[in-house]
Amino acid sequence: MKKSLTFHRKKVWLVLSICSILLLGLMIRLVCLMGFLSDHYYRKAEDLHERERDIKAERGKILDAAGKVLADNRTVCTISVIHNQIKEPEKVIRVLAEKLSMDPGQVRKQVEKVSSIERIRTNVDKEIGDQIRECQLEGVKVDEDYKRWYPYGDLASKVLGFTGGDNQGIIGLEVKYEDVLRGENGKILTVTDARGVELTDKGEKRKEPVAGQDLRISLDASIQEYVQQAAQKVMEEKQADRVSILLMNPQNGEIYACVNVPEFDLNQPFELNTEQDTSGLSQQEKQDLLNQMWRNPCLNDTYEPGSTFKIITMAAGLEEGVVKEEDSFYCPGYKLVDDRRIHCANRRGHGSQNFVQGAENSCNPVFIEVGLRLGVDNYYKYFKQFGLLKKTGIDLPGEAGTIMHQKNKMGNVELATVSFGQSFQITPIQLAATVSGIINGGKRVTPHFAVAVQSPDGRNIKELSYPVEQGILSEATSRRVRNILEKVVSEGSGKNAKIEGYSIGGKTATSQTLPRSANRYISSFLGFAPAEEPIVLGLCIIHNPQGMYYGGTIAAPVIRRIFENVLPYLGIECSYSLDK
Amino acid sequence: MASGKKQGYSEADGILLTLVLILAVFGLTMLFSTSEYNGRVRFGDSAYYFKKQLFAMSLGLLTMYLVAGMDYHFFIRLAPAAYVVSLGLSAAVLVVGQEINGSRRWLNLGPLSFQPSEFAKVAVILFLVWQIQHTKSSTSGLWFMGRTLASLLPVVGLVGSNNLSTAIIILGIGVVLIFASNSRYACFLGIGAAGVAFAVLFLAAESYRLERLAIWRDPEKYEKGFQTIQGLYAIGSGGLFGRGLGSSIQKLGFVPEAQNDMIFSIICEELGLTGALILILIFGLLIWRLCVIATQCMDLAGTLICTGIMAHMAIQVILNIAVVTNTIPNTGITLPFVSYGGTSGVFLMGEMGLALSVSSHKQQLFTYTKG
Repeated sequence: MKKSLTFHRKKVWLVLSICSILLLGLMIRLVCLMGFLSDHYYRKAEDLHERERDIKAERGKILDAAGKVLADNRTVCTISVIHNQIKEPEKVIRVLAEKLSMDPGQVRKQVEKVSSIERIRTNVDKEIGDQIRECQLEGVKVDEDYKRWYPYGDLASKVLGFTGGDNQGIIGLEVKYEDVLRGENGKILTVTDARGVELTDKGEKRKEPVAGQDLRISLDASIQEYVQQAAQKVMEEKQADRVSILLMNPQNGEIYACVNVPEFDLNQPFELNTEQDTSGLSQQEKQDLLNQMWRNPCLNDTYEPGSTFKIITMAAGLEEGVVKEEDSFYCPGYKLVDDRRIHCANRRGHGSQNFVQGAENSCNPVFIEVGLRLGVDNYYKYFKQFGLLKKTGIDLPGEAGTIMHQKNKMGNVELATVSFGQSFQITPIQLAATVSGIINGGKRVTPHFAVAVQSPDGRNIKELSYPVEQGILSEATSRRVRNILEKVVSEGSGKNAKIEGYSIGGKTATSQTLPRSANRYISSFLGFAPAEEPIVLGLCIIHNPQGMYYGGTIAAPVIRRIFENVLPYLGIECSYSLDK
Repeated sequence: MASGKKQGYSEADGILLTLVLILAVFGLTMLFSTSEYNGRVRFGDSAYYFKKQLFAMSLGLLTMYLVAGMDYHFFIRLAPAAYVVSLGLSAAVLVVGQEINGSRRWLNLGPLSFQPSEFAKVAVILFLVWQIQHTKSSTSGLWFMGRTLASLLPVVGLVGSNNLSTAIIILGIGVVLIFASNSRYACFLGIGAAGVAFAVLFLAAESYRLERLAIWRDPEKYEKGFQTIQGLYAIGSGGLFGRGLGSSIQKLGFVPEAQNDMIFSIICEELGLTGALILILIFGLLIWRLCVIATQCMDLAGTLICTGIMAHMAIQVILNIAVVTNTIPNTGITLPFVSYGGTSGVFLMGEMGLALSVSSHKQQLFTYTKG
């Protein structure tokens, strides 16, 4: 038997001391983890435990100038299944396949898939959703949310745009004002175990969704409807490819109507608006056709404006002082520029005429002469000053820029063709905005639709403002341009736009598209009223009309018909005849 | 000696007994809370693990009672036989062992299963004490130290081949006992340095061990750090006072096998920093009490038995908590009295019985000499 000695005891105490120090160290480590790092790990653990379900926010409405709802929401349902809560899989498969008219095999695949939650179908009508809910199937979830609904169908389809599966804007105002309209989705947070089963005793946290704000636009559904009918009528009569009509207020840039026929049904945006058979096409080809259909030609596409552009040449010439109304010109039917003979539309020539008559006749040699008198530098200066080189800033996505000769590559021939609107391209909205600035006294306005953002109850209203550039043209020159353009309608080539009792200004255009040999034309007319102080400016562009194709003959009457209705509607009194 | 036996008998240590009972009850409570989900999900019985553990702990209590009433010298006499048996069982488990969770660590005995490595720990403590008691040469010699350590190598090798953690514990117990029986200090610094060098070599030899180091340093980056990171989430989300008993979310399948090695993290989550610190304190008191019994004992064998038990307890508690808090790289070590494990429960209680026996025979040598 051995005795335990003092050194044995000392050593045991030493071992205890070491152990105590180690335990103390671990305690400090725990204080770090559970005290200082606690929040970090707690948050991470919460992220892990919580399953999130979104509650869709109601998207803001789009209202027209009169307060009519152009884009609304409808309640629809999302049907999902939670795999490990399903008690009767066969019944679930049968009911869902039947109510949703889906392939039972597809439903079976989703029902039998081991996942925490499986979405069977979205955007189900509320009625069907209610029917499914009434079946009280365990493990089947019916969540309500909102789907965009456009009460006017195809009205202003390329302006308003539509939304996708997640209610996000895809084209048009819907995407441009996504931030305003979208709102903030809410959330339901539930705690689950590692298999994804919700723990009912832990309760759920809800974050309520915030509805999007309403957008009020200057477009007026009544005007738009009427303009659309007019466009439809002329497209059918002239068997044209398409017709675009813009109606805006040249004083402030507000757009009253923007029609591009054929329009498409906003409630079925993924169906083509033509009778075309798409069965043989690839996915990519179909998508290309849809993208084409969704384009807004008023701002996404450029065209050769032709004679309507003479307004710009006229304004620049008068402002620079290189031409006066009474200056006389002679048109032999063509003009020689350097070694090139540039024809007038009237090959026999307009003979002797002053500048106003040249405008009335839309005589190319007159405007070529004005362009040459200005010279490239001056012409380019006004081109820039009028804002033609930059985009208009319209509140729609995808605006195309102006395609213009570079200044250093612009010779006399190019200058001459530009003077009467050929050899370059601009968008219709650019033409309308530029002419607006020229005839409104020299203010470059920003064409736009949205005028205010307001809360769903209509109380909190935030008016939107857009940049205005003052002094692009003198007031005096602006008045002279208006006078000449009034003469064009009352006495010249735009006489088909004349309305008894109203003073109307305007300019016709007929341009041949490239290649010239195809004999395809774009006929257009730009008009405004009242000529003294324009409140409305209309631009009608007819692409590839059959038969008669002169702008003055086919586009001017369209604007006349529209003005006849819209001017009284806008409260512009018929006063001219009384003065007479 | 026989005459002094009766006279030297005194009351068993009440404080140790109280601490053990507190730990046993606490352990069972936490085990029930932690294993409730896994039992329900896997076996459709919330109390599945609890019932088995309750049975083991009852058996352990009985063992403790019986052992406490016996003279511990009886067990020292059995030590060589016990060591040979543990070698045999450790070898047998490699051949006919039942595989659970990828490791062959259990021997099937009808309805019960038995983990030889738990038995090996007790056998090693007794065998070392036996060797120290029976050596005629000085226990301070290098020869003795080398010989004693070498005698452990067979069991360390056998156990370590499929259970590295237990092998480390056995080696640790061995080193502590040799340290305690040796009057020298300086040479243990050398042994310590050699141990560190060996550990570095050992880690570098196999790339998967280095990977463990990498996981340890940044567990969120590695898939294999999953268990560690889930444990940290549980610990961290406990805060000061925890979610409340039974309210852990991490035990719901997030911490894998929450009732085993990682149970301490669930204790942290449910009882908070407060509960965790109190538990560490109780373990600290238990170790202190074992130290007191060891130093109060006049008989070297009793002192060393208690020292061995103390070393076993301290190493397992410290390593377990260090692993769970990601203070050291992950290795599978259970928390005494709390983690699920029947064999471990029975033998731990048996060891406590042995310590109680030492405590009640502590004056034996003293009275013998006097008388």
